[in-house]
Amino acid sequence: MMPTIEIVVTPTGQTQVQTKGFTGSECRQASQFIEQALGQRTSEQLTAEFHQQANQSQSHQQHH
Amino acid sequence: MSHIVEIKTEVRDEVAIGSACRRLKLDPPTRGTVKLFSSEATGVIVNLPGWRYPTVFDTQTGEARYDNYGGHWGKQVQLDRFLQAYAVEKAKREAHLKGHTVTEVSLADGSIKVTVTVGGAA
Repeated sequence: MMPTIEIVVTPTGQTQVQTKGFTGSECRQASQFIEQALGQRTSEQLTAEFHQQANQSQSHQQHH
Repeated sequence: MSHIVEIKTEVRDEVAIGSACRRLKLDPPTRGTVKLFSSEATGVIVNLPGWRYPTVFDTQTGEARYDNYGGHWGKQVQLDRFLQAYAVEKAKREAHLKGHTVTEVSLADGSIKVTVTVGGAA
């Protein structure tokens, strides 16, 4: 899956930025330029996919 | 991995303001000082449709100065449309500057979704 950044702008101008398909903390770095350009961050939510892939990465490393 | 961030739009880019004006078929913005009902405001001046007084954007702070007397001198929906257009144009501009591919779709609820494919050709 190609990594993407989705920006949804509501009819009142509020903006939600969501990253998809990135590895590790890259998602935060990848969207930083958009977030800072658009305005002030008011909230952040790490998705279940973020935590799930983090756990899988740790589990994989333990076997080596 | 994924995360979701909510952003309060701040209007700080004069080029994107111009793009938003073109998108909405408004007069091009100008920079200067205008008189509102009871004060003056300096910044980037945008004339919204049906508004008695211009809207002035302070590009240092990203804030808008205007007098619409609770909607009697200009409908809020016009300012909302402008803010939406600005955010969309600003997001597209920043993505293009990074060399990413950008697509845009309108959603059923009136929102606009801009999808940036990272690493795609500009």
